[in-house]
Amino acid sequence: MANCQRRPAPLDPIYYPLLTLLFILFTCVDLYDAVTVVDVYRLVQFDISSVPFGSRLATLNHHAASSLFGSDLSRSVIILPVRELDLDLIKEYIGQGKLLGGLLLLLPPHFSPEKVDAAVGIDEDFDLLRNKVSELERLLIHANIPYPVYFAFENDDINAVLDEVKRNDASGQPATATTGGYKLLVAASDPKKIASPTITNIQGWLPGLKLEGDSTQLPTIAIVASYDTFGVAPALSVGSDSNGSGVVALLEIARLFSILYSNPKTRGRYNLLFGLTSGGPYNYNGTQKWLRSFDQRLRESIDYAICLNSLGSLGNELHLHISKPPENKYIQQIFQGLSSVAEESGLQVGLKHKKINISSPRVAWEHEQFSRLRLTAATISELSTAPELLESTGSLSDNRHSVSEASVIRSVKVVAESVARHIYSQEGKGTNIFADNSSLAVNPSYVRSWLNLLSTTSRVAPFLSKNDPLIMALQKELADHTTEVSIQHETLDGTFTFYDSISGRLHVYQVVSVTFDLLLLLVLGSYLITLFSFLIITTRGLDDLISLFRRPPSR
Amino acid sequence: MTVFHFFNCAILTFGPHAVYYSATPLSEYDTLWTSIRAAVVYLVTALVKLVCLATFLNVSDSDTFDPYQELLKALFGFIDVAGLYFALTQLTHRNISQNHKFQAVGLGWAFADSVLHRLAPLWVGARGLEFTWDYIFQGLEANANLVFSISLAALGSLIWLRKNKPKTLIPIIYACAGIVATMPSITSYLRRGLGWHLPKVVGFELFSSLLIAFISWQLFVACQRPSN
Repeated sequence: MANCQRRPAPLDPIYYPLLTLLFILFTCVDLYDAVTVVDVYRLVQFDISSVPFGSRLATLNHHAASSLFGSDLSRSVIILPVRELDLDLIKEYIGQGKLLGGLLLLLPPHFSPEKVDAAVGIDEDFDLLRNKVSELERLLIHANIPYPVYFAFENDDINAVLDEVKRNDASGQPATATTGGYKLLVAASDPKKIASPTITNIQGWLPGLKLEGDSTQLPTIAIVASYDTFGVAPALSVGSDSNGSGVVALLEIARLFSILYSNPKTRGRYNLLFGLTSGGPYNYNGTQKWLRSFDQRLRESIDYAICLNSLGSLGNELHLHISKPPENKYIQQIFQGLSSVAEESGLQVGLKHKKINISSPRVAWEHEQFSRLRLTAATISELSTAPELLESTGSLSDNRHSVSEASVIRSVKVVAESVARHIYSQEGKGTNIFADNSSLAVNPSYVRSWLNLLSTTSRVAPFLSKNDPLIMALQKELADHTTEVSIQHETLDGTFTFYDSISGRLHVYQVVSVTFDLLLLLVLGSYLITLFSFLIITTRGLDDLISLFRRPPSR
Repeated sequence: MTVFHFFNCAILTFGPHAVYYSATPLSEYDTLWTSIRAAVVYLVTALVKLVCLATFLNVSDSDTFDPYQELLKALFGFIDVAGLYFALTQLTHRNISQNHKFQAVGLGWAFADSVLHRLAPLWVGARGLEFTWDYIFQGLEANANLVFSISLAALGSLIWLRKNKPKTLIPIIYACAGIVATMPSITSYLRRGLGWHLPKVVGFELFSSLLIAFISWQLFVACQRPSN
């Protein structure tokens, strides 16, 4: 074996550029940790009478960008923290229908429904943020957005990614296929229409005391609350106040009356009908179908109905919304009963009259469905004006922190007491039926545990199956407090169509540019060629190397 | 794009073996079978080592350096040496000169090592979207490993196949062979005991592999002089 020791001179200059190339490679891409995975929740996608609203796509697979200014954003996903959002800019962007690859909105962590225990200080910034979020929601729900929009909660990983993307953007190197950067990927199938979405009404019946030989039908008092929600991100729509507080109030009232009615001596001479209806945000569709299913006798026996809606915010005023004229004597009776009880708790009850328009499909309050069938009904709510369609039905900022347990307890007391005084004809006699520290006192831990449960469960009706655990739980709870429970499954009104795929997982990858791969190939190719030449020269001699390139002499 | 990265890392990891085979006179003397047989011996050795490690070693979750465990691992590393001995001496080779024998055996050994330890992670990992430098460093490690294997095979052939060696050089030969055989333990000590990061460890491996190659080359030449 020839032991050549001479360093092959022509190869030396090649090493220096190689070294510089390697150095450039190393500085192009930072060493970074592995993939970040975050839970993301998609903007709602729905049609009203075939007019599309919301985000129409679900699959996301583009590079990340951090600002709305920039060329060619149709192949980038913009990451925007809601805290720093410029609403006017977004309004303009969406209004003009400009195309993006996708939009990822980052919400502050305390908006997360899972953070039930963390105490949030009510301060001005928080209020401003809530207003900003509400406006953003209104904008997004009524817009038709042809690209995927996702919500995620800020955490350390995603904040680090955002900082890095901002730095890259600032240095004029936006992430695209040719320059590397971060790639956001949400693997989701095409959103499909939910065929025949079901709405489920749950009713509980507490019969009153029927004396022997008395064949006349006892009058019935109905207490109703709608339990489903609608929000800009259906997976996050927990609606603690709208209408979780109403549901909790209804359950507690049912519990109190079931104690009273369990003993025939204290059973009132009124039947009590408790209704948990669905389809609330969609013009109280469920209530309408539930009422239509009543037989004639039941309908005729209903004395009046009280609908509970949003009872959870601190304040000293409750409103009684009616559609019959205020001079109506039944309305006056209900109002007087409520006011007198409320005064004892330091609350004010105001009467608000809103005429119903039979020709318009819009039903702003639940009692209007009763009024359309000529039944006396009223809604008790902290809201003073009727909400617009799809508003105040479980927005992003309506989570556990926006509900005060004390308010709900107070409202429960007022409603239960006024109904009980009417049943037992105790008006004006100064009796306190559900007095504190008695066995009939409102139970704060019951209220708290149900509020917590409802604040962690999203309840958008089309995404609740017939046997959803929540529906089963509500049914079981009502069954505990009433004698007869029945469930009614109906299909949601056809004007509203919903599409599935409401949540997903976002994968953040750091990808390198094509140039990097090509450069690396070049480097490796030259390394292997160098190695080859080196080995040939050291083992066989330079002549052999040169002879490789020379054509063999023709035979 | 990521299959591109896989391709890049694959040619970094396995390319040098192919280049070595074709560039040196090995291809002229048709020593492919020797390399293949050496690869098979490596597989068997790896299996035996695995069984021994599984039986005697307690697996700890922590990444700290445990001297006793590392000593055991080093002892089992000598099973490697035994395997190499077997490959060098017992396998019947056709009349191939000693030079080529150790190169072929070392090549086959290193190739089997790379395939066994590096192909699977490469296939699974390098094709993903996420980019890490790990696979490139793994490739560089494979290169260092090739040099180490050939050096070890050279030293091994010196120890077992060459009968008349200058007396002074014998301890050096054994010392070098010992260092190369325990190289895995040394690198794991550097990684866990001293907490070196991957780039530093790979750099050390590359440097030491070149150093050992140079030393064993000199030893080989020195031992060849008397017979020349």
